[in-house]
Amino acid sequence: MPHDDTRDGPTVASAPHPTGRDLEVVSVSKSYGGPDVVQDLAFTLGHGEFLTLLGPSGSGKTTTLLMVAGFERPTTGDIRVGGRSVVNEPPQRRNFGIVFQSYALFPHMTVLENVEFPLRMRGVAKRARGAPALEMLEKVGLSGFQNRKPRELSGGQQQRVALARALVFEPDALLLDEPLGALDKRLREAMQIEIKAIQQRVGISVLYVTHDQEEAMVMSDRIAIMREGRIVQLGAPKDLYKHPETPFVASFLGETNLLPCGVVEDGAYGKVTFADGSSGVAARPRRDPGDGGGPWLVSVRPEQVRVLTPEDRLDTTIDGVVKDCTFVGSYVRVTILACGQEVVVKGDETISAWAETGRRVRVGWRRDDAQILRAD
Amino acid sequence: MLLLVCAPIFLYLLVPTLIVVPMAFTPGALLKFPPGGMSLRPFRALLGDPAWVDAAIVSLKAAAVAVGLGGVVATLAALGLHSAKFAGRGVVQGALMVPIVAPLIVLALADYQFLATVRLTGTWLGIGLAHSVLAVPYVFITLQASLAGLDPALLRSARGLGAGHWSVFRHVYLPALRPGLLAGALFAFAASFDEAVIALFLQGPAATTLPVKIFTDIQYDLTPKIAAVAALLVGLATLVFVVQTAVLLRRRSQPRATTAG
Repeated sequence: MPHDDTRDGPTVASAPHPTGRDLEVVSVSKSYGGPDVVQDLAFTLGHGEFLTLLGPSGSGKTTTLLMVAGFERPTTGDIRVGGRSVVNEPPQRRNFGIVFQSYALFPHMTVLENVEFPLRMRGVAKRARGAPALEMLEKVGLSGFQNRKPRELSGGQQQRVALARALVFEPDALLLDEPLGALDKRLREAMQIEIKAIQQRVGISVLYVTHDQEEAMVMSDRIAIMREGRIVQLGAPKDLYKHPETPFVASFLGETNLLPCGVVEDGAYGKVTFADGSSGVAARPRRDPGDGGGPWLVSVRPEQVRVLTPEDRLDTTIDGVVKDCTFVGSYVRVTILACGQEVVVKGDETISAWAETGRRVRVGWRRDDAQILRAD
Repeated sequence: MLLLVCAPIFLYLLVPTLIVVPMAFTPGALLKFPPGGMSLRPFRALLGDPAWVDAAIVSLKAAAVAVGLGGVVATLAALGLHSAKFAGRGVVQGALMVPIVAPLIVLALADYQFLATVRLTGTWLGIGLAHSVLAVPYVFITLQASLAGLDPALLRSARGLGAGHWSVFRHVYLPALRPGLLAGALFAFAASFDEAVIALFLQGPAATTLPVKIFTDIQYDLTPKIAAVAALLVGLATLVFVVQTAVLLRRRSQPRATTAG
């Protein structure tokens, strides 16, 4: 199974590249006296990997990053770099490049002095600092800006300076805490591509924290979805999107239709029955959700729901009435009332031909596009 | 309408100064208003009188001790209270303000009692030590304002980039504190240079500050030199104010974001 490193816990063997300077988070918990903010967290950031901690605010993702960076101390558990525990090291002795949302450039220093700063802190002589700093500025596309002050730069440029500063001392990993949160949408999308390109150019491991699922999908090799201090699912973006294990993951990562159902048959696929009596077939959970009981839901992505002609046969079909139809630009979004709830359909412009409000339609989907989940 | 309200207020605030400055140019040997002429004689007499020059030096020395010691204590307090969260933080903050709100006469008495036991009355060092207590709240308040505007991510960022505690202080705190430190030092200097009550209690033959000298001379030696001292002090204060305003304006007019792509 492609995502079997999800909850295997603290075993080193589950790392995708168990060599070099892997960053291992080993059953780490954190509490500030009350309930655990982070609970029994375990993952391995492989060498050169881009791993994103994705979750809503309060899910513990930033706390996790701060523990890795050394600003917070785990209550229990261990953090290792290349097999060596760093949990007792202060932040300045851990070799991580960190970028915060506010960039945190030193306002009184020039761009070059900012980028030279970590080298200076490592005792590199003044003469030897300029060349690597300038080279790194070139890599982030800021040649010629070295004598500016941070306040003379735009938000995107400041972001690049912060990246160059975090990369110039060849850290073991880059830790990024919502680094694009302060930028507007268009610049954010450009920077996602840019950061990914820089990461591959430099060949560095990245631990990325965000609440923006699209950002996580675009940039990550793997995503750890966090909720209430735990990783609920960890895997490649496509895998998470296609095979969510919980309704939370299904609806947090992209949009989905969740239809309550009864599951009446075992096997790789289950026979499901919906509230209106219609039935179909859907993929059973890959991972046994535990004690076996329901209630159950079927998750279907809006772009996988098809509108059927009377002759069409599909694994699952349900009848409904068109509620409304919205032209969004690159796609058309139709809401259908079926099984006593709203079912969203996304498609190209051709579907607006039949999507008149009040019209009766039959929709359906393939069994591989429908995932049975146990309700939260 | 505005002028009608403001003009009397300005007049009320400025009249004492408007009277004392012309008096400094009195040509005669006795202090009087109107001065009845213009002369630099009082200034020449003032600068030629070693007693006045000594008093100025004592004042400067005491102020230097006050600003230096008070500044260090206030800086440490501001930094400590900025990063630490503990019960009773408000109490400590309040305690640091006490020198401003406590009656000067009470402070003076306490200073006298204490400094007498360590034999520092009658010395400029004693006056400087007593004034350093007054300086603490001024510097502390301005530093707190500077620290409030400090991005906490800067501290983490610096440490994450390899900076130890001393480097964090030097490269993050100090640049952020500099304007507040300058303003606070200026206030503290003024507070010490100006202060008469404590200085009067602690004075001695070798430790007479300018305000004390002015006070005693008014009683025994009413010459235009006193007005000349006052005029010089007004001049000094004006100069400081002008320089500070100029620095502020220059800083504000600096380019904020001039990016060419």
